[in-house]
Amino acid sequence: MTSLEDKVEESRKLGLQIVKESEEDRLMTLSVGPQHPGSGHFRFIIKLDGDYIVYCDPDPGYVHRGEEKMCEYRNVIQNIPHLERPVIHDSNNVTYSYSLAIEELVGIEVPRRGQFIRAIASELNRQVYTLYWLAIYGIFLGHSTMFMWPTGDRELFIDLLEALTGARVTHAFNIPGGVRNDMPDGFKDRCIRQVRYFEKRLKEYEDIFYNNPLFRQRTEQVGVLSKEDAAKLGVTGSVVRASGIPYDIRKAEPYDIYNEIDFKVQYMKSGDSYARSYVPFLDMKESCHIIEDLLDKMPESGEVRAKLQPNPKGPPGEAYRRVESGRGALGYYVVSDGTPKPYRVKISVGSFRNILALPYLLVGQKLADMPAIYWSLNYWPVEADR
Amino acid sequence: MTTAGGFIKAIESGTKHLVIRRFTLRYPEQKLKFVGDGYQFDPKRGVGIAGYRGRHILIHDKCTGCQLCAIACEGIAEAIGMVKVDEQWKQNKKAIMPQIDYGKCVFCGLCVDACPFYALFMTNDYELSSFTKEHLIYTPGQLAIKPKYQGDVEIVIDDRGATHG
Ligand code: SF4
Ligand code: SF4
Repeated sequence: MTSLEDKVEESRKLGLQIVKESEEDRLMTLSVGPQHPGSGHFRFIIKLDGDYIVYCDPDPGYVHRGEEKMCEYRNVIQNIPHLERPVIHDSNNVTYSYSLAIEELVGIEVPRRGQFIRAIASELNRQVYTLYWLAIYGIFLGHSTMFMWPTGDRELFIDLLEALTGARVTHAFNIPGGVRNDMPDGFKDRCIRQVRYFEKRLKEYEDIFYNNPLFRQRTEQVGVLSKEDAAKLGVTGSVVRASGIPYDIRKAEPYDIYNEIDFKVQYMKSGDSYARSYVPFLDMKESCHIIEDLLDKMPESGEVRAKLQPNPKGPPGEAYRRVESGRGALGYYVVSDGTPKPYRVKISVGSFRNILALPYLLVGQKLADMPAIYWSLNYWPVEADR
Repeated sequence: MTTAGGFIKAIESGTKHLVIRRFTLRYPEQKLKFVGDGYQFDPKRGVGIAGYRGRHILIHDKCTGCQLCAIACEGIAEAIGMVKVDEQWKQNKKAIMPQIDYGKCVFCGLCVDACPFYALFMTNDYELSSFTKEHLIYTPGQLAIKPKYQGDVEIVIDDRGATHG
């Protein structure tokens, strides 16, 4: 057996020359998206060395619609339908923090029953969003059953929201001052029945997906985000909770009646893709309890919406309120100059903050692990661009 | 759990569904049942009445042609335009009524909230597809017709799972 050095020596003697490949030649640049079926309206440029990712540059902005600028040309009520467009699957949570900010500016007190209905709608909507996210995560990792089941079970909550708000996806339900309409008759029983059934289904999800050895092998110890890094990068929602920081706006900064509801902040310590995908699942379980608790404590009757003038306006000032959405903290900063139209609206979304972790997590991982890491960040491209 | 045990559990929970009823809604043979007759606005309480937000219905003998619905929609979708109608109504001297372009409407229902005379409501009708854009524009005459929507299916849950029936 001749060693490599001998071979090199031999070829030297023959007058041949071995040229070492330069690093630029070896690296391959890949553009994932915006037409990649999984990336959404989003592209990230990655450089590969063999099978390993050495560089990643997220490039959002394909669906920027100028939501913030649009807010300046409409009055506070007219803003509601277009503000929920960035995340139609989570439309109640998007308009929730907007309503809270406007209420603070105009100085409206929301009736107690209105606060409860608002919280129920937002919890139901969180389930719809998380199930949709889970369905895509399932199909990303090649698990078709986990695409079909959540997409089907999503219907349970869409059905409830349809009865409550009148629309299946874009609800336009929260309004500064409360909610648009009261609960229909028999909603409470229907809600409890479907939520209980869903809780049973969650056990099956665990069997077929989360405890599945194949899924565990693909996600455990993949893309680990340590506690310190998570805090430094400022990620939010399920991503920060998967890294061992129990931070939930519903507990840290309770809005409306969330301080009267007892629930636990779900978190995990490992910080890998498995934890990041398991925390939303735990959140879904917890949301089921929250919904039942809310229905339990809700006053039987009463006003649901505070009276507003047709063109509500407050004194000049500013307000910043945030809620826990499906993707983490979602805040609205609204500046008013005393006219019915806001002077400036700034939306701070969880998606954009979570995607900042992607370049740090992908470097050093295999290309095949990219989907498992990318989608576990709970990122919604349209929301990040807004 | 061991690896083999995990696989067996996963396969078992999947195969169980071979005998469980399907959840799928067989549209258009089956249609969902809605709460009430569509989204309306309650004049007494000042809030809406829960209902599906489908196509609008315009009550001609209440509409005064005040244009408030069109003003409300201006910043949302600009779907409402005011058009002249031939008939004379004593509450509607200008003889103008809203016409709605369903190619633009987002079914938010804020025009219903805005109407001060309770002349504009929404109905359960969501089957609005057409072959041309022009057919999506509903004149006041078309908006006055009560839609025939027959939905009787809802989610049924029992021991054998959930289904639409
Ligand atoms: S439902 Fe909304 S978008 Fe449609 S006509 Fe009424 S205000 Fe305009
Ligand atoms: S439908 Fe209502 S708001 Fe619109 S013009 Fe008629 S009365 Fe006025």
